[in-house]
Amino acid sequence: MDKGYDFNQAWTEANRCLLCHDAPCSKGCPAGTNPGRFIKKFKMQNIKGAIRTIKENNILGGACGILCPTARLCEKECASSNLDRPIEIGRIQEFLVRHGREIGFKVFEKPDSTLEKVAVIGSGPAGLSCGAELGKKGYNVTIFEKMDEPGGVLRYGVPSYRFSKEYLKTELEDIIELGVKFECGHAIKEVGEAENLLNKGFKAVFIATGLWDATRIFEEKPEGVYDSVAFLSSPRTDRKDILKNQVKDKKVAVIGGGSVAMDCAGLARSFGASDVYLVYRRSFCQMPADEDEKMESLENEIHFLILNQPKAYVTNDKGAVSGIELVRTQLSPAKSSGRRSPIEIKDSQWVLDVDLVVEAIGNKAFENSDNLYPGVDIDDKKLIKADLDNCRTSKQAIFAGGDIVRGPSLVVNAVQDGKTAASAIDSYLVQRRAKLTNKEG
Amino acid sequence: MNKKDIDLSIDFCGIKFKNPFLLSSSPVSNSAEMVARSFEAGWSGVVFKTLNSDTTPIIHPSPRMNEYAYGSKRLVGLQNVEMISDRTLKDNLTDFLYLKKKYPDNVLISSIMGFSNDEWAYLAKVSEDNGADMLELNFSCPHMAVEGAGHHVGQAFDLIEKFTSTVKQCVSIPVIAKMTPNITDMTEPAIYAKQGGADAISAINTVSGISQIDLDGFIPKPNIFGLGSVSGTSGPAIKPIGLRFISDMGKCEELSLPLSGIGGIETWIDALEYILLGSSTIQVTTGIIHYGYGIVEDMIEGLTDFMVEKNISRVQDLVGKALPNLKTTDKFDLKRQGRAQYDLTKCVGCGQCYTVCRDAGGFALDWDEQKRRPVLIEDKCLSCMICSFVCPVPDIISYKEMPETWKRKDACVMDRSLETQIKYQPFKSS
Repeated sequence: MDKGYDFNQAWTEANRCLLCHDAPCSKGCPAGTNPGRFIKKFKMQNIKGAIRTIKENNILGGACGILCPTARLCEKECASSNLDRPIEIGRIQEFLVRHGREIGFKVFEKPDSTLEKVAVIGSGPAGLSCGAELGKKGYNVTIFEKMDEPGGVLRYGVPSYRFSKEYLKTELEDIIELGVKFECGHAIKEVGEAENLLNKGFKAVFIATGLWDATRIFEEKPEGVYDSVAFLSSPRTDRKDILKNQVKDKKVAVIGGGSVAMDCAGLARSFGASDVYLVYRRSFCQMPADEDEKMESLENEIHFLILNQPKAYVTNDKGAVSGIELVRTQLSPAKSSGRRSPIEIKDSQWVLDVDLVVEAIGNKAFENSDNLYPGVDIDDKKLIKADLDNCRTSKQAIFAGGDIVRGPSLVVNAVQDGKTAASAIDSYLVQRRAKLTNKEG
Repeated sequence: MNKKDIDLSIDFCGIKFKNPFLLSSSPVSNSAEMVARSFEAGWSGVVFKTLNSDTTPIIHPSPRMNEYAYGSKRLVGLQNVEMISDRTLKDNLTDFLYLKKKYPDNVLISSIMGFSNDEWAYLAKVSEDNGADMLELNFSCPHMAVEGAGHHVGQAFDLIEKFTSTVKQCVSIPVIAKMTPNITDMTEPAIYAKQGGADAISAINTVSGISQIDLDGFIPKPNIFGLGSVSGTSGPAIKPIGLRFISDMGKCEELSLPLSGIGGIETWIDALEYILLGSSTIQVTTGIIHYGYGIVEDMIEGLTDFMVEKNISRVQDLVGKALPNLKTTDKFDLKRQGRAQYDLTKCVGCGQCYTVCRDAGGFALDWDEQKRRPVLIEDKCLSCMICSFVCPVPDIISYKEMPETWKRKDACVMDRSLETQIKYQPFKSS
């Protein structure tokens, strides 16, 4: 993982900030981060105040500083861009959070957890953010996580060279200190179990299970073909060494053009793959990954095989993958509107020899995920129908947010959903309390 | 005019300097080993680190300096508690001989400070005998703790006259008196020095100050093992003070002595400003502490190109050129008024102008939220121009003189109805 700014680098960068009176950066964050404010505080040498501004708004401020595609969020409208380059807000934010820990500064005082019990399902960014917010308000929060350790996508979906588990540990400590309890290795899997938590003493439930099934390309899946979920999570599981040996000095193809595909390609490189191909059926510009991710991949000597459509896997006599049959494409004629689509070029089939393939074309909800909450409305993609303004679902006391509602999205959006849900859960429980008091009275 | 026509040399008290740029008496002129390298870099002369006669052993406090920083800008100022030379007189004089032998065309000025009449005379004599081209009398070191030395002398004007006169009687080389800025009016001690026979005045020495306090131990810095002290501050932060004192002396007809300007000089522009206010030579320390001797190359080149551009061939013709335009505030023509004008072509939309105009100016800006641009309400502008000082882009905000018919709006009175309740009578002079 990039070791980030040191004090002097962060200080110098903060001093470039123009301190815009209407701080456009502060309008660019889906999670309501206020860089205009925390950078001004830093510049005025009010360093603890700067850290407080970040953490009070976003318990995962450090993680977001590292993982956010800042170029298209807070830094996009930075007025300094018109002078030379935008302020590196993400890096300053990450530094401040880390600095706070280094100087032993605690933003939060441990609350008395005297209020109702609330269950959170899933310990990814949405669940963690919701748990922390409720913890601050004094709720008794339990986060259920089916994996052995908490973090969700932060632990099992991002390669360690981008975000280390040591860093995650420090972010989690702040949440634990708010009195939030974790039950890891505790899968909510029985039919209706999510809703049944309401009968087990929990007065509200937040579902933030994320999307952990990979979208497949072909029906067949010969040996040596992985999906992005399994591939990216492998370093955090006992499969790490097995996979590493399979990849080292081998040729790897990653199918896809988004951020996840870039991460898979980078991870394959870090495992020592001799050649990594990114296979994408459209053009370079159409790849959904961010510009800097693409540039990093190029610098990482990843081969971009654009305008190539996978047709089938080629297998060897043992049935393991040995290549991908590809057909070259060209883009449909440009029209005034609509995205140009790839058209296969006749007789242009060829075979890319590879030893391992990672499919990274997107994630979806688990096949039977809806069984856990039969009373909650879902859509045809099995995403939960919830209003993003309050994370309420069709069922009372059940709230939902993050990717299981939005579909594949950013960490920072999940953080915001967690905050929104916490606030809605609080309003709901305050009303509930009031009603109970009236009845008793 | 071409570069070859430019003459940077200057006559200062009858001594010829190949350019006006000298090292001042300080750590940067501590030994011949250092000074030789400065001469190679292009400095025309040196005021050597103030000599000690060996009667008082000198031990410098440790650490001996502290910086004054502003934001991420380092060394905007410098505070030091260094004393006069801690080298033996013999070593320093041997270095004099070396410098004069190796660099006969560079000027060697010996800085001296005595603790008694005899000692002043002695140091003056040995300096002259060992090749010094001039003397600079250090009446101004602000952190010499001994009564009758450093700025204690600089603040006791009769002593200035007495010591200057003593020195003048025993040497034939020109004598400069160096003034402390830690007083109200510098012309007065300068005139005492003149009465004592001084041939020139140099100013300013460091300004008494405190650069920083260690917040953990509540100890002013530099922290000398638990103690701090008010001591000499230098660097760009004190340039306005230096320019002021030089201009006071430059305008003083009774004084009419050549001046050597010191205080916060780093660039040719800084140097030129001192020259325009009456300095014939300028001296540098903190600029060198920050950037090294190499800055003189840019002073020489920058000043030369400026003179080519302005068609002025001799530095001498620039000395004091801004003084006729420097007057007391009562001489201003208050009938002429103007306001700021905005050319928003290059505006980046930070709105700092808007913030400061409302919080510290005339409330003369509105903010167009859609375009993210300031909108000037012309008749409310006070022409304080602070908006132009915080604007990150040059040339957006400039000053525009308005016709005499133009009237500025009075500042808003919040609630006229309260007028009936005022307890007041207009002031009448009795």
